[in-house]
Amino acid sequence: MSRMEDISTFNAVREAGLAKLLPDVPRVTVGMGTCGRGNGAEGVYHALAEANDRAGGLLASVGCFGPCSEEPLVGVWIPGSPLVILRRVQQGDAERILADALDGRIPPDLAWCKVEEWDHLTAQIKYGHGYPELPSWHEVPFFAGQKKIVLRNCGFIDPEDIEEYVAVGGYQALYKVLIDNQPACVIEQIKAARLRGRGGAGFSTGIKWDYLAKATADAKYIICNADEGDPGAYMNRNEIESDPHSLLEGMIIGGFVMGASLGIIYVRAEYPVAVHRLTHAIEQAREYGLLGDNVLGRGFHFDIEMVEGAGAFVCGEETALIASLEGLAGRPRPRPPFPAQRGLWGRPTNINNVETWCNIAPIVVKGAGWFTQTGSAKSAGTKVFSLVGKVQNTGLVEMPLGTPIKTFVYDIGGGGAGGKSIKSVQTGGPSGGCIPQEMFDTPVDYETLAQLGSIMGSGGMVVMDEDNCMVDVARYFVEFTHSESCGKCVPCRVGLDQALDILNSFTEGTGSLAQLELLGELGRMVRDTSLCGLGQTAPNPVLTTMRHFRHEFEDHILGRRCNAGVCTQLALSPCENSCPLHMNVPRYLQLLKEGRMEDAFISVLLDNPLPASTGRVCQHPCEDRCRRQTVDEAVNMREVHRFIADSVLGSEQWGPVMDRIQARKLASTGQRIAITGAGPAGLTAAFYLALLGHDVTVFESRQEPGGMLRYALPEYRLPKAVLAREIEGIRCVGMRFECGKKVGADLGLDEIEGQFDAVFLSIGTWQEAAAPVAGAELKGVRAAVPFLETIARGEPVALGRRVAVIGGGNAAIDSARTAVRLGAETTVVYRRERKDMPAIAEETAEAEREGVRFLFLAAPHRIVGDPRGNVKGLEIMKTRLGEFDKSGRQKPVATGEITRFDCDSVILAVGESVDLEFGRLSGLGLSPSGTIVADRFTLETSRSNVFAGGDVVSGASNVTKAMAYGKRAARSMDRRLTGSDRFPALLEAFEYDQTPPPPAAGGPRRRGHERPVSVRVRGSEEVVEGLTTADAIEEAARCLRCDVRA
Amino acid sequence: MPQKRSIRIDGELVQVARGETILDAARAAGRTIPTLCHFDGLRNSGACRLCIVEVSGSNRLLPACTTPAEDGMAVTTSSPKLTAYRRMTIELLLAERNHLCSVCVSNGHCELQALATSIGVTSVRFRYRYPALPVDQSHERYVLDHNRCVLCSRCVRVCAELEGAHVWDFMSRGIQLRVVSDLDQPWAEALACTNCGKCVQACPTGALVEKGRAVEEMAKRCSQVAQVAMKRGAPR
Repeated sequence: MSRMEDISTFNAVREAGLAKLLPDVPRVTVGMGTCGRGNGAEGVYHALAEANDRAGGLLASVGCFGPCSEEPLVGVWIPGSPLVILRRVQQGDAERILADALDGRIPPDLAWCKVEEWDHLTAQIKYGHGYPELPSWHEVPFFAGQKKIVLRNCGFIDPEDIEEYVAVGGYQALYKVLIDNQPACVIEQIKAARLRGRGGAGFSTGIKWDYLAKATADAKYIICNADEGDPGAYMNRNEIESDPHSLLEGMIIGGFVMGASLGIIYVRAEYPVAVHRLTHAIEQAREYGLLGDNVLGRGFHFDIEMVEGAGAFVCGEETALIASLEGLAGRPRPRPPFPAQRGLWGRPTNINNVETWCNIAPIVVKGAGWFTQTGSAKSAGTKVFSLVGKVQNTGLVEMPLGTPIKTFVYDIGGGGAGGKSIKSVQTGGPSGGCIPQEMFDTPVDYETLAQLGSIMGSGGMVVMDEDNCMVDVARYFVEFTHSESCGKCVPCRVGLDQALDILNSFTEGTGSLAQLELLGELGRMVRDTSLCGLGQTAPNPVLTTMRHFRHEFEDHILGRRCNAGVCTQLALSPCENSCPLHMNVPRYLQLLKEGRMEDAFISVLLDNPLPASTGRVCQHPCEDRCRRQTVDEAVNMREVHRFIADSVLGSEQWGPVMDRIQARKLASTGQRIAITGAGPAGLTAAFYLALLGHDVTVFESRQEPGGMLRYALPEYRLPKAVLAREIEGIRCVGMRFECGKKVGADLGLDEIEGQFDAVFLSIGTWQEAAAPVAGAELKGVRAAVPFLETIARGEPVALGRRVAVIGGGNAAIDSARTAVRLGAETTVVYRRERKDMPAIAEETAEAEREGVRFLFLAAPHRIVGDPRGNVKGLEIMKTRLGEFDKSGRQKPVATGEITRFDCDSVILAVGESVDLEFGRLSGLGLSPSGTIVADRFTLETSRSNVFAGGDVVSGASNVTKAMAYGKRAARSMDRRLTGSDRFPALLEAFEYDQTPPPPAAGGPRRRGHERPVSVRVRGSEEVVEGLTTADAIEEAARCLRCDVRA
Repeated sequence: MPQKRSIRIDGELVQVARGETILDAARAAGRTIPTLCHFDGLRNSGACRLCIVEVSGSNRLLPACTTPAEDGMAVTTSSPKLTAYRRMTIELLLAERNHLCSVCVSNGHCELQALATSIGVTSVRFRYRYPALPVDQSHERYVLDHNRCVLCSRCVRVCAELEGAHVWDFMSRGIQLRVVSDLDQPWAEALACTNCGKCVQACPTGALVEKGRAVEEMAKRCSQVAQVAMKRGAPR
């Protein structure tokens, strides 16, 4: 140890540090921040230490390099070679890491990236060249674009060794400032660098310093605010843990130029590692002559003390922090007077965030001009963010200010975890706001975020996906600020309590729109009138979610639904919540398990009038959120209700069961209702409206009811006989069908309106969307739905030998598999990847088994014809995946590479749209895409008593969603006609066992038996046979009964 | 720096001395800005936020009681927005605890009630919390009813700054905030209390009252306490 008193002692310390940083033997480092330790870095360190005792390398513990999701991180440096970062190292890897290192090798399975040289800004460290097979650190997506100014030393040096800090240029800036002895120039430099407070408010650091420098008093203080308390934010913790001397250096420089004699670091007691390293660093700094009397032999007296805060969030507010330092309760006081006028103990005081202090030394060394090269016009430099939440790569990232949010989420974060679509990013913690996906181009800087109602804050960045409920997010943050409010001023103390109360009413399904308006007014009032920053920013999460996600609030208030499935009081169970028809799944499973087939069927049918059809073709969103997945696989709910339906429909039980259903029918209301379109939406509406006692007439343009179920779904998925039986069941509730009558052409809307009390429009989407491909007019080019319809009518289609199907939805797969059954060689051309296909995954897999070829990342470029105008081939453009779109999928981008293959026909399955002609004639309000505009909750159109639902409102969708429209329309129309909500009276109450089963009951998932490929491609027999009775009952027993609440 | 500053209050030019606040200036101009936690002669705490005003050139609302009057300031003391916010503040206070005037000893003499009337609060849009807080009747002559307390801290300040006893302070935080005597002992056991009763007279509501008063009987002698405080020279 030596005190640094002049340039030679200073250099001696630096040499000593360099000898540790770049020794003659291999150096192995372990990232030992709190995050690393949480992931097992301590175990790795001890294992390495043990192995090292024998091997004789140099082992050091360092700070954190940033990527939390890859911890524990180990750095291996062999003299003359690059520093290699190993990731996800386990204790057991220690021996071979050291053995390999001593042999000059790197374990290839653990190696992640290399660092050939590192710019510490205050010094460069050249590690060496080599390992061509390894990517350089900045080529790893997580690091690409990052610029490490604040984190320049993090993960490279031992934070508990001052000599290593000096070795990478530490305390050089301080030395320079002391020697130059021009405090005013340093302040000017900070001003010119446009450094702004990194605690969140973004006030100019230089101007703040100037205030204190110019204040005259017997004592002046500087304070470092390390009271980081935002949920999900840990920048400051890591900065202190990984590089405490950088903070100390900034503060000593600040103390000198502002004329302060004491610096105080107010750090949370909940950061034990940070507290320990900081205590150690301060002791070392005193020992080495950087604190105390005669700093660096230049006659400057300065000392730093550390105070542990007890963890109150409000103590991050500067006046509350000062009160806390003075031994008072941490409550803010009004400003003015500002701390620079009257701060700690009534003396002028300057407070800066950890990160602000960490920026000082590089600015002093490299200059203001260098600093302003990074960042945006008003906000220079970088900011450290903790990127957490629903992204694949989480961790600490340091990016230039002004970087768009999408770079954080998609490039660094790697997009949504588990392929889910990202909905929003929350910045600034409980004081910030939520920014919706549509605004991800927003640059992250102080002004832009403020315009969107959010703030930069200390740098928390929480990514949220479709499984996050924005109402719950707002509620969560208000709950936090509510419990952290000091209670001094009325708006924050009582206003947040009332806001929380209102938000709770939304998540519990008891709120009203009037309360939503009141919440907005209250939020603005709390924001505008609160005493300190906590109250002034606490409404931000509420106000921004109300602004950008109002529809979610409406879902909770008007629809009493939480689509994300977070607000558990609004749902029976995850499966019920995600089912568009909200079927009571646990109930029918339990009834089946109890052997009550009739009850099970009635339970199913009253929730879903087409259980046999949906049991075959539903997209089963219920399975995506089934909690059984945490044990093994989701419960096969779809197949079970298919089994229940198949067992009863057409059996001798059917008659008595339908009598029971009939008996539930309400007395006749005498109201006449017309339903136009007998597809899934129309049939569902008709079923319920008839049960509600209305006189229902269903108009259908085709010869038979069923819509897409009848005319677009191939026989091998849904046999016509099954559908016919189900429609028979619906019909027997009591309604009239008028087939062969097309609304618009045969029957005017005005005419229907005159004859009926209410009309439900469910005409679907039968028009093929215009294909954006040249050559679509050639003979042999067909649209998918008309093709499937022709087949469904039993008419012949000449496809030729080779067929290309363009598209990735269910219509594409249905067409391809139908083409296979017609004996064609079939290729599906899809512009994205398999995982992005909207088609049901099982269907795609079966198509492949039946011999359908798939070309992914291929977009149709041109359909090639022969001189007679027949299709001859297809040119396809290779695509690659580019930016993420709103659906959370990457957009395909043309690469320019075109290939060609021969085919005899092309089936276009690129989507269906509404019959625009009808829309225009009807005089109804239409959306730009031609769909009919209907109220989200009542489904009323612009004409009173005309309701609309299904694909004609949503655009081409799926069977179950269309049925859900029909169900909602029936309830809403009945309420309109009778003035009361009579729908619940239809449903039957069942008594059944309410004890949850043991967690692993029921064994593995049962599947329906599939017919062999060789059999099925020769005809149109159904591919999947239903579950056997035994399997169905055992499958039902697998349900974990999430509906049972304690 | 000039000793006198001129500022505009709702358009009217007013001269104020250095160190005076917007509230002082408004009063000099004969304007009434509603206040609750302010008490003449005591340090201002800026807690109730009723005295917020608009100051041209500032994008936020400022409390008149703690904002120094600066030369050239133009202040608006009343606007639809200010009235709406003040109204909501009163509503929040009424909803926070139990303010059933008809059975209150301070009915007719209550500052909260008077403010509600003058600002025009006729209904409360928020849920009444009615938290059922204790009533400290241990003192020989006085009662502390937490259910009527608005947490203005006038008792805390008058005791600490004027009487020098500092019997009162706050415990807990947020909506749990509560006035306590000494270290949350019953008032009668608070050793520091001199039984002077200034806290009772300074209390704007029926939270601190004299024993033996029936409904509507508890008129406070606020101005007397304030006069004593002013004579001693008001701190800032």
